[in-house]
Amino acid sequence: MKDTIISARRKKIEVVAFIVCFLIANLLNLYAIIAYNDASYSELITSLGYVTAAAVVLYVLWCALRILFYGTGKLFFPKK
Amino acid sequence: MKKAGIAGTAAVFVSSPWLSVFSDSKHTARFVAKLGIIGTGSRGQHLMRFLAANPKVEIAAVCDIYQPSLDGARRIAPNAKAYTDYRRLLEDKTIDGVVIATPLNAHCQIALDAFDAGKHVFCEKTLGITIEECYAMYNRHKTAGKVFFSGQQRLFDPRYIKAMEMIHAGVFGEIQSIRTFWFRNGDWRRKAPSPELERQINWRLYREYSKGLMTELACHQLQVGAWAMRSIPEKAMGHGSITFWKDGREVYDNVSCIYVFDNGVKMTFDSVIANKFYGLEEQILGSRGTVEPEKGKYYFEETPPAPAFLRLLTDIENDLFNTLPFAGTSWTPETAGKNKGEYILGEKPKGDGTDLALNAYVEAVITGKQPPNIAEEGYYASALALLGDLTLQKGEILKFPDKFKIDYLNHRKVVSA
Repeated sequence: MKDTIISARRKKIEVVAFIVCFLIANLLNLYAIIAYNDASYSELITSLGYVTAAAVVLYVLWCALRILFYGTGKLFFPKK
Repeated sequence: MKKAGIAGTAAVFVSSPWLSVFSDSKHTARFVAKLGIIGTGSRGQHLMRFLAANPKVEIAAVCDIYQPSLDGARRIAPNAKAYTDYRRLLEDKTIDGVVIATPLNAHCQIALDAFDAGKHVFCEKTLGITIEECYAMYNRHKTAGKVFFSGQQRLFDPRYIKAMEMIHAGVFGEIQSIRTFWFRNGDWRRKAPSPELERQINWRLYREYSKGLMTELACHQLQVGAWAMRSIPEKAMGHGSITFWKDGREVYDNVSCIYVFDNGVKMTFDSVIANKFYGLEEQILGSRGTVEPEKGKYYFEETPPAPAFLRLLTDIENDLFNTLPFAGTSWTPETAGKNKGEYILGEKPKGDGTDLALNAYVEAVITGKQPPNIAEEGYYASALALLGDLTLQKGEILKFPDKFKIDYLNHRKVVSA
């Protein structure tokens, strides 16, 4: 089996991607709190578990999209 | 009671005034109640185990006509005198009180004789085999001035006490309906060692000794319903039949009864002993919530909304995938909600109050003071069960007979001219 190297740049990109997903999930939570009148702003904290789970789902979706995009590219335009 | 976290508040004593029986418990610490147990079958021995664990009790005598039951009792209380005739036990002047756990048909005469002998009485439910007997027992207790308890242990069960306190405080709104049921899957038989003992051993199955499901099971639940309503139902109707256990028994194995209160609220009792899926419960339905004291839980109609984030995700999901019928959500099936409810005492219930009921009786025997309402609750629970049996037998709607009313709750004793 071949050793794989994850470069520092790649790690940084992935961390940033997850942070972006987490921010999007939090923004969704904020929108929901504003949209549903009976909700409390304390849900920004109490719903962090759900928000984190949603961030993971978003990140996984983002990964799947990238795999699909680059996979397709490699399939049709293989490196020479 | 303090350990259960329900003692000490005025609301508790308003809802369950008989708990005042424990108020002298510190002062009675050095006293011992000498008790005689009449009827030492399985229930009698069950009660004896609780009594034997109470340092304020000396089980001085036991009595039964069936030797194996007497032997079992002697194993629990080796120093107790054994009798086969309860009248000899009652002659023992040192005995303060008796516990009666015989078959139902024998309760009344034993209790009357016990009062006449100056004994305090704890009588298992149902008190008598007819309303007349129950009435006679209640009246003899009043004239004798002796303590009178019935085996309505839920009156001392902390979860029931707390639930009633909440119900009476209006936490669940106005009570609209009480549904009680007790389902089992079994023939209710015990193995008789010889055919001639069949009726004595399986006394619950024969009308000479018992009124079956009404007196053995309904009696408990009707008491809970009347306690919740703080009212005695005015009429009863119902139907009973033998639909499964066609084995020579005389009592019904399938009954349904409806009791109607003054304000139109109904209390139902259903029992089938060929299916146990739903078990037993008293469902007390208020306009703002429901109580299921057997489970030890309550449920509010309006539950706090889910977090906004989850609602947003659900709405997105519904928009993406759901196709609601054009007439709106009213066409969706109205199946019960998935409301998990809350525990009445904050935790899963333990025990059923039998130990506390017996402790209360012991306190009352030592002090000689009858706790408020306890005899009345026992009397009406028994009378309602027997009224239910009468309506099952006659197939008619029956009103609670005026001549058996006593001064309690919405009932007033009717003095005939």
